[in-house]
Amino acid sequence: MGAPGPEPRSGPVAWISRGALAQNARDAAGRGIRSFAPSVLQADAWGHGEALVRDVLAGAGLAPAEPDDRALGGATLFGLPGGADGARPALRLTGTVLSVKALRRGEGVSYGYAFRAESDTRVALVTGGYAQGIVRALGNAARVLVGEGRHPIVGRVAMDVCVVDVGDAAVGRGDAVVFLGDAAHGEPGLEEWMRATNLTAAELVTAVGLRALREVVA
Amino acid sequence: MTARLHVDLGALARNIDRVRTVVAPAELMLVVKDDAYGHGLAPVVTAAARAGVRWFGAFDVHTGAAVRRTVGPDARVFSWIAASPDDIAVAVAERLDLGIGDAALLEEAAAVARDAGRPARVHLKIDSGLHRNGVRPEDWPAFAARAAQLVADAAIDVVGVWSHIAEASDDEDDLARAAYDLAVEQARAAGLTPEVRHLAASAASFARAEFRYDMVRVGAFCYGIRSAGGPAAAELGLEPVARLEADVVAVDGDGVTVGMGALEGLPSSLAGRASVGTPAGPRRLLALGERMRVEGWADAAPGDRVSVYGPGGDGEGTATDLAEVIGTIGEEIAVRVSPLVPRVYAGE
Repeated sequence: MGAPGPEPRSGPVAWISRGALAQNARDAAGRGIRSFAPSVLQADAWGHGEALVRDVLAGAGLAPAEPDDRALGGATLFGLPGGADGARPALRLTGTVLSVKALRRGEGVSYGYAFRAESDTRVALVTGGYAQGIVRALGNAARVLVGEGRHPIVGRVAMDVCVVDVGDAAVGRGDAVVFLGDAAHGEPGLEEWMRATNLTAAELVTAVGLRALREVVA
Repeated sequence: MTARLHVDLGALARNIDRVRTVVAPAELMLVVKDDAYGHGLAPVVTAAARAGVRWFGAFDVHTGAAVRRTVGPDARVFSWIAASPDDIAVAVAERLDLGIGDAALLEEAAAVARDAGRPARVHLKIDSGLHRNGVRPEDWPAFAARAAQLVADAAIDVVGVWSHIAEASDDEDDLARAAYDLAVEQARAAGLTPEVRHLAASAASFARAEFRYDMVRVGAFCYGIRSAGGPAAAELGLEPVARLEADVVAVDGDGVTVGMGALEGLPSSLAGRASVGTPAGPRRLLALGERMRVEGWADAAPGDRVSVYGPGGDGEGTATDLAEVIGTIGEEIAVRVSPLVPRVYAGE
């Protein structure tokens, strides 16, 4: 084992969309691009899985770039901020609600009590922390999607979990939490993470893909 | 990419000895979550067991099961996250100690244990103020009473009561400890007989004797990672276990290029703000992208070793020194190091 158990899981999951990768590569080919930058294969294809990405690139008829080629780069291939218009994010990061409980006005959350509740609310303990690339600086600085609602990560992100202020939303143990999705569809995206962490999209997504449980989806 | 993480298992064993000496007679639980803070689970667990560690802290049950396979049946392995009944089944099958900080999870654990025909061994968690995992104080007496009933039904064994402090201030930690003491008292009043009380992690286990109880859960200090804003490792009698290093791959102008970059897990926000160790001592980290640019030195040559963080032999700072530059903690620097960076072991 050490392998992911059945859902819901005790660690966050990075869902890699073959469809998004293939579409991003095909769209580039449609713009006359015939090759890919070798750097897109670095670090297990920026955490997306080198074998999958090689397969997708070959399927789109793209070859490794020669030095002066106009080549497909990582931002477009992986659908990151700074990539071509219309490129879709290939990585989606979700966690699981482990428990939900009351938080009273004035009570602190997590190490150093860096968050204190301004009024009575409810908080969810969610799988995913800085060891899976949910950067510690995202505490009190980023929001996640639970059901239909966006809710803030409150207090310090811990190594393997974080706390989300869910207010009176209908959220319970086992529910899915979206850390990173498709910003074009109103889901949390990397832009917010980049602002909060002062890190690049490439390193953010790579750390997530290499450390979270990884699943390939169509 | 020329990076590798050099892990000194001798230093690990010395740190473990040091921690055990400081916290005695309390027991040490060595925390090995997240691939032993990036140092490598199996080598760390093996070395620690050889150094006499009897308790391991493993976060999730899958890591717990991996520890069990590495150390065999005698060690105690504590996991405190179970996301599903399947996770609990793994804990019961592998004879893990399971942390339970939620009434619904307690019922799940009891149901799975009944099916398995073997009681789940649990440590009940009081929320003493951190508001992550744990049962709130006002709900605790009923939770303890329910646990006592499940013990009578032979569905669970309650072997521990535990909590986790915020380390916001000594005063607030004292309040947490008072809440913890009350919870232990109420658990006993409910008829439970917890044999292992544990509250403190690294910092409090050293600084505050009254927080040690029967056992302390220590990860960072055993790896020689000091607290951000806290005393130096040497002052604590500890030494950094890991050294992250890479090779110079080109020398040009007034700098060198090093074969490691931000995709290997080193935060690019360190560029221009941190220094690294070289054969000529500390040099400024100029840029950090696909590779690293470092201020040069007189006879720099490809193949020279650059130490990004470590015990300091090349003039490098520690993981926590780097962390403080960008407002985080040494643990985050350690666990962000890519799993693709080879781990190289010494001192086995």
